[in-house]
Formats: sequence, C-alpha cells, structure tokens
Amino acid sequence: MSYFRKIAKNFKWKHYIVYIILAAVLLLSALLWQAGVMKRSTATMLNQIGYSIILAVSLNIVVGFLGELSLGHAGFMCAGAYLGTFLYNFLIAAIPSKLLCLCIAMLFGGVVAALLGMLVGLPALRLKGDYLAIVTLAFNEIIGNLCKNIKIFGGGMGLKNEQPYGYSLFIVTFVVVILTLIVLQNLIRSKHGRAITAIRDNEIAAKAMGINVTYYKLFAFTIAAFFAGIAGVLYGAAVSPVKYTNFTFNYSIEILVMVVLGGIGSINGSIIAAAFITYLNLTLTNQLSGDLAALKYLVYALILILVVIFNNAPAMRKYREKLDFKKLSDKLFKKKNSDIRDDSAAWDRIPTKIPMDELLSADLKTQNDSPDTSMPEDRSSHE
Amino acid sequence: MSTLIDGLSLGVIYALIALGYTMVYGIAKMLNFAHGDIIMVGAYSVFATLALCGLAFPAILVAVIVCVLLGISVERVAYRPLRGASPLAVLITAIGVSYLLQSIAQLIFGAKPRTVELFSFTPIRIGNSTISGASLLTLGVCIVIMAALTLFVNRTKTGHAMLAVSEDRGAAQLMGINVNRIIMLTFAIGSALAAFASVFYLLYIPSVNPTLGSMPGIKAFTAAVIGGIGSIPGAMIGGVLLGLIETICLRVPALAPFTTSIEFGLLIVILLFKPTGLLGKRRREKV
Amino acid sequence: MRKQAKKLLSAALTIAMVAALMLSLVSCGDKYKPDSMIYIGASGPLTGEAASYGVSVQKGAQLAIDEINEAGGINGITFYFNMLDDQATATQAASNYDSLMDKGMQISIGAVTTDSCEAFAAKAVNDNLFYITPSASAASVIANRPNGYRICFSDPQQGEIAAEKIVEAGYSNVGVIYQSDNNYSKGIYDAFEAKMQELGKTFTARTFDQNSNKDFSSQMDVLKDCDVIFLPMYYTEAGLIASKAAEKGCNAVLFGSDGFDGIAGVLASNVTNTIQYITPFDADSADLTVKKFVDAYKAKYNETPDQFAADGYDAVMAIYEALKVANVTDAQMSADALTKAITAVLSSPDFSFTGATGTMTWSSDGVPTKVPQVKEITRG
Repeated sequence: MSYFRKIAKNFKWKHYIVYIILAAVLLLSALLWQAGVMKRSTATMLNQIGYSIILAVSLNIVVGFLGELSLGHAGFMCAGAYLGTFLYNFLIAAIPSKLLCLCIAMLFGGVVAALLGMLVGLPALRLKGDYLAIVTLAFNEIIGNLCKNIKIFGGGMGLKNEQPYGYSLFIVTFVVVILTLIVLQNLIRSKHGRAITAIRDNEIAAKAMGINVTYYKLFAFTIAAFFAGIAGVLYGAAVSPVKYTNFTFNYSIEILVMVVLGGIGSINGSIIAAAFITYLNLTLTNQLSGDLAALKYLVYALILILVVIFNNAPAMRKYREKLDFKKLSDKLFKKKNSDIRDDSAAWDRIPTKIPMDELLSADLKTQNDSPDTSMPEDRSSHE
Repeated sequence: MSTLIDGLSLGVIYALIALGYTMVYGIAKMLNFAHGDIIMVGAYSVFATLALCGLAFPAILVAVIVCVLLGISVERVAYRPLRGASPLAVLITAIGVSYLLQSIAQLIFGAKPRTVELFSFTPIRIGNSTISGASLLTLGVCIVIMAALTLFVNRTKTGHAMLAVSEDRGAAQLMGINVNRIIMLTFAIGSALAAFASVFYLLYIPSVNPTLGSMPGIKAFTAAVIGGIGSIPGAMIGGVLLGLIETICLRVPALAPFTTSIEFGLLIVILLFKPTGLLGKRRREKV
Repeated sequence: MRKQAKKLLSAALTIAMVAALMLSLVSCGDKYKPDSMIYIGASGPLTGEAASYGVSVQKGAQLAIDEINEAGGINGITFYFNMLDDQATATQAASNYDSLMDKGMQISIGAVTTDSCEAFAAKAVNDNLFYITPSASAASVIANRPNGYRICFSDPQQGEIAAEKIVEAGYSNVGVIYQSDNNYSKGIYDAFEAKMQELGKTFTARTFDQNSNKDFSSQMDVLKDCDVIFLPMYYTEAGLIASKAAEKGCNAVLFGSDGFDGIAGVLASNVTNTIQYITPFDADSADLTVKKFVDAYKAKYNETPDQFAADGYDAVMAIYEALKVANVTDAQMSADALTKAITAVLSSPDFSFTGATGTMTWSSDGVPTKVPQVKEITRG
C-alpha cells in the first residue's frame, strides 16, 4: 500500500498531462466512433493529426535535440509508406487480421526507414548546418525518384493498397502516437538523450567528455527515421495509392514548420502545432471551395508569418511577455513570481544552451539595464 | 556542341539565381526560400507589361524594378523584425512569404499558364549542329552580368562594405558601416538578378504560372551549395556544373528518368569530399 | 490543501476542454443545401501546378448546374455542386471524399486528375457512390468499379488511335516525346508503342519528367529531322516543344493527344509547324450543342472554354440526362439508389448522350464510345 502512496505522492501532473489528454481524446473518439455519431471526415482528420504528430515529434529529435536541420523527413516517410504498404498487400492475402498485418508492416516500414536514416546520418558526421540540410533534402528527392522508377511499386501510378484499413484506423494511429511519445520522451530524459543534447550544445566539449559523437549522431537520425517510417505505413493504410509526389521536400518543410511553430526542442509544442496545422489545412480546404481555394495558402502564409514574427522578433518581446501563458496562469493561481524559469523541471525539455543563449543573455541584459520595479513588490506582497 | 551551349546557358541561368541565394546567405545569414518566387513575380511583370504595351525592353525594365521593390519590402516587412532571432524562425517566415507570393499570383493572374513571347530567334546552323540564338544571348548577357557583379563586389567601396558585413557583422558596424542598408542593398541586387534570371528563363520556357519559381529555385539552391554557399564564384561554378549535368543526362535515354537522382547524388558526393562545397570557406571550430 | 484543489481544477479543465473539442467534432446536423436539391460533389486541383485543369472543370460543371437549375431541374429537383481543392494529390482527394460525404454528397463527378480519382474511387466503391470522371483518363480509374464512369477517352484508346492515324498518313521517320512520370502521357505512350509494334513500325522516343527543366532542346536535337513527332501531353508542354522545334529549325508535323486542346493560345509566333491532334472537343466547331456551350461559357466567365471545361460540363449534363430518363422524384435518395438508377440508364444500349465533347454511349464497365476527330492547325 505504501508503494502506491509513494507513487501518488511523487506523481507530477505535468509529466503525464499529455498522455492523459491523448488517452482521453482516444477513448472519447473511439466511443463516439463506435456509437456512430462521429463524422467520417473527423475520423480521417484524427488519423492525419495522429501521423503528423509522430512526424513532428520524431523530426524534433533531429532538429531540436541533435540540433541539425533536416529537410528530408518526408523521404523516410515515403520509404516507410512504399515498403510497408508493399508488405501489407503481400501479408493481407495470407493473414486475415488487418490489424496484425498493419503492425508487422509498421515494424518493417520503420526498420527500412531507420536503415535509410542511418545512411543519411553518415554525411552528418562530416557536414554541418545548411550543408547537411541540403544533403537531407537531396536524399528526400532521391528516394522519391527511385520509388518512381521501381516497377513493382507501380511506377508513375503509385502503389495501390489492396485493402485499406478503413476509418477506424485513427484508433491504431493514436495508440501508436502514445507509444511513440512514451519511447521518445523517456529516450530524451535518458543517458542517450542527454548525450544527444550535449552534442547539440557543443560537439567538441561533448567529445572531450567522452561521448561517442559518431554513435549518437547516427542514433538520433536512425530513431527519427524509424518513427517517420511508421508514420508512412499509417499513411499508406489510409490513402491508396501511395505516391511519391506526396513526399516531396515541400512536405518535409511542412513538417519542419510544425516543429518550429511548436517550439524547437519542445515535444508538447510539436504535438500542439502538428494538430493545429493539420486542422487548419483541412478546415481551410473544406471551407474555401471553388475560386476561393487560392485564398487557403494566403491565409496559411499570413498566419505562419505573423505567428513566427510574434514569437521570435526581438521587438515583440514586450507583448510576448504580456501574453505569456505561464505568467498568466501564475497570476491566476497567485503563484510566486519567478523570473528564472526552471527549464530542467519541464518534462519535455532539456535545458538548452546554444539556440537559447542569445535570448537568455538578452533577457538578463534588460533586467540589468531597466530593472522592473513592479517585480520585487509583487514578490513581497505574495510572501 | 549544341549540348554544350544549351547546358552552359541553362547553367548560367541557375548561376544567376544561385547568386541571389548565396549573396543573401553570405550577408544576411539566412536561406531566402522565397527567392524562387521572386523569379515568378519577375516573369509575371514581364507578362503584364508585354500585354499592356507590347515592347520587350520596357518589360524587362519593369520586371527589374518590381523585383527590386519586392525584394526590399519583403526584407523590410518579414525578415528585418526577425534579425537576431533564430535562423530557423527566419527560414519559416521565408517559406511563408513564398506561399504568400504564389497565392497572390494565382489570385491576380489565375492558375493557367500564360504564354510570354519576348524575342524570337532564328536558329544558327554550324555544320551539323544547330545552336539556338536564345542560348547564345543568355550565355553572353549572363557572363557580362556576372563579371559586372564580381567587379562591383571587389572594386567598389560598397562592395567592400558588403564583404565586411558578411565577414563579421558586429565589426563592420563598429567600422561605421550601415548594416541595415547593406543588407537591403544585398536583397535589391539579389532580386535584380532574379529579375534577369526570369527574363532568360522566359526565353527558354516561354510560359509563366504561379509555381514557376519553385523548381529552378531549389535547383539553384543546390547549385549554390555545391559551389560553397556564401561564395560568389562558387555559385557561378555550381550553377554551370548543374546545368551541364542536367542537359547531358536528359540526352541519354537510359539516364533520363534518373536525372534528379544523379543531380542530387552528385551533390552528396561533392559535399562528402568537400564538406563546405567547392569554394566554401572552412571555419575552424572553437570550444 | 490548496495544491490538491489546483490539481483537481486543472484535471476538470482538461476534461472540459477535451469534451468541448470532441463535441465540436461531432456532426450537429448542419445543412449545406436545401432538401429539394441533389448534392453533386467533386475533388480537383484548384491550387498548385495542376490548378488550371480543376478550375476549368469546376467552371464547366457549375455552368451546367446553373443551366439545369434555371430550366427548373427534374420534377422540381434541382442540383447543388461543390468541388473541393485537392492540389492533385491522393491524400487530399481521399479526405475531400470524406468531407463531401459528411456534407451529404449523393452523386459525384469524381476527381479531375488521375491520382486523385484513384484515391477518390477507392473510397467511393465501398459506398457504391456513382462517379463519372470528366478527365481522369487512366484505364485503372474505373476498372472493376461498377459505380465508375468516364467522359473522356482513356489513355490506351488514344495511344492506339494516334498510332493508327500516324501509320495511315504514311510518315516514315516518327519521333515521340513523352513525360515519363505522368500517368496520362505514359499511359498513351505505352499503348502507342504496343500498337506501333503490332503494325510493324519503328520510332525514336525521348522523355522528360516533372522535375526536369522544360527546356526540351536536348530532346529536339535528337528528333529534329523527323517527319512527325507524336506528343502525348498537355498543351502547355506541347507549346514549349513547338517553339523549341521552331528554334531548332525542325519542320516535323506535331501530332498530339487530346491534351493539346488550347494549344492555339500558347503557340509562339515563330512556330510554323503543322499541328494535328485528336480531340473530342473543338471550341470553334459549328456544331449546335458545342456552340451553345461555348457561348454560354464565354458569357459567364469571359473566356474560351477548354476541353476540361467541356468535360466537366458534359459530366454534369450526362448525370442530368440519365436522371431525367430514370425520372427521379425524390431529392433525398441515397447514393446507392441513385447509382443503381443512373448506371441502369447509362449502360442501356439505346441511351446516347450528346454533349460538348460529342455523342457518346457507355458500356456497363463505364467506358465511353465516341468518334475521335483530328483537328489541324496550320501556321506560317
């Protein structure tokens, strides 16, 4: 009994809130689907949101935690989609259970994509920054080009899925999302995750500390590609035919947009941004039919530009602080106002150095230059 | 022979676009993903002016002016507020600007490709091979433009200021260089080059649609990286190399379906042996 | 104590938020059209590189809907048409299908491009929803799907027609340029190749693809001495090839597929080659049905319709004619019942439909039979 009490005592809501929300969404939507009140387009949308989350979170491992820009994530998804669907078509003739076939296909697609990811990781040992980014982009285009020219993959027609999984696929997808999050979040907080972030913050220093840089760089690329491959298989189970034209670098960039919009290095941010962007895209497509369709990208582009400028522009800092969600909630709950955020306590983040140092030092500077007089007062009044 | 000329002239078009990428990267330290769409805007301004007055030279002039103004205003509105923010944030805004330009173009001109006829050329026959006049003109003018640009950067005071900003922005500012003005100038020059590229692109492919810029944009970006991004002669070499390879691959039936793979494969191989491109500078890393 | 209360509160808030989200996702009986209308849905590229095809089909179909509704519909039943944007991708077409079904789609004109139509049809077959695609021409789009019909020629049909016409005309040196990663182009080429082999003729083929630059000087260098060059592709690329041919001093006849429709508007002034193409639709035709359509289209949109617009118009008109013969009286009929009614009429041997793209009859597998015409443009 005391064991459970101990667990209950140490239980931190903010560590598990994501899982609770996702599980609640999954349960509720599964119930609604069973009851037959959910729209089909919602089921499809939930599925798309699901695999977008997997893509965004796995890309975040490379972009946010390893600190390398990758513009080829859709390529791994492409490989997973083609090979997974190929195997699925093959298995479905022998095994009657679609779910079992899909699971085997997911593993297979994931492993193939992971091998490709390792291959892409190799140049990462020599290249950095934008040069590496263009190499990942090149890999993306090459994978698409090869898939197009392979006869058994249907060539220009794309690979047909003999028996698409059906609308209830979103339930499988969400289970996979939760599993992905469990694996990745634990990985980030593990020894391996810390090694990866150490490489991001300073490669030479990490090497000096005895971290095997080669191994961990390959490891990060491989893991990210593995989950992208799984997302690809989930895509292939929903949409027939699987076609290389869906996985161009434009799609890679769309995934990157999710990561950046959600906050580089923030898993929860990626989840929210992936859900938001997918929802926005589908809603805009549904609402703007006919001649207005061109407005979709106009709206999308404007939202993108405004959000990024608001979130990142140095001149906007004042307004950002006014709308800071954490501070608002602190005020709401009359919590002690702490200026220095305890990054290390955030479940999905690891304290950062390089990408953040500009912002951090700027913050310190403003504090020194123009001390905010209201701050000490606030503090004393609550104490 | 004609393969060589065609490949070279395609290459110099890529090089012109790649110069825009490389200069902006070198000086503003950002990947301007909207650069390809500035070409598209240039092509549409040529189209619109031709439809209004029917003369080729004013059309080119208008294209250059429109592109320069657009480049400067995009820099002012979308990129300057983000100076000092993470490079990825700027990258995403650039992508946003690219979508924005494409959708505005579709709203104004519609999705249908429009035909643009600038000049017509009679083919020149030398022995067995035919060389198109457009290729020769492109080749000639582009070489002149590139030479002028090289002279401008290396010989004038403003050019030196640009080099200084690309070397060390902070130090340049301390030396009394107006960094904002230099960055604006860079965008203006890059956009003017894009306008010229759009004119030559129209000589090649006399049709314009809202997504015209994306493919040459990405190819030119590849070219800039092959040559070493940030390096002006590198962009020229990279562009010409890419144009030649593409033209040659397309002429060999067995290789044609794999052209994209070959181009990008070559990029990977080059980068593996020279990690900062052919002429890129190697920066030493310190702890 | 307060800490616990906070935990409880945040848990309650979370649950409330999720519940609100879920509620908003469930249908609340929203109505997109009046009860007296039949919902015709479609998916097509309205943005992106293929946007012009989708926009044309949409305009043509909307024109047909307006004409039908102005004339009073069938037994008081009028029609509602909606096309959602899919950017010519299978992903978006599949999710568009679901959205349209949720909005109450009863009949469809499928999707405009082949990839999208494949994805659209893969879902439509499960609901037995009738679709008659105006322009998705790959043979597989309606194969083994009893609910699928087509307006345009299929790719293999065109390839065979082209081979026959070219051999008939007696050209000796035949060249071909096709787009290797485009289903339309490749589908026609494959059938053309087979037919030429069957007829015992040889030819030289060159390719290009979506990502390669559309300069075509490489291809034209090889083919410039041909008597005829067969170009199974759309008019935008064909127009570029024509001007490249002129530039390289090539005098071959350019023989095209039905995608050539609209080429007259994009030909550069220096092109002197004779251009011939197979077409079911000719905007300059004196035929009364065609003329009526072209005039109405010009009046409504202030531009000349292309083949896609005509296909879209015919797709809606064919549905209308079939429903008129079936004499429907209930606008609330299910998709399944409507499919049975329409296919019974369309596949009956004595039903024929005359639209802007000619007079056609259908077999029960949805393949149209119509007479191909060859249109010729001479310049210079």
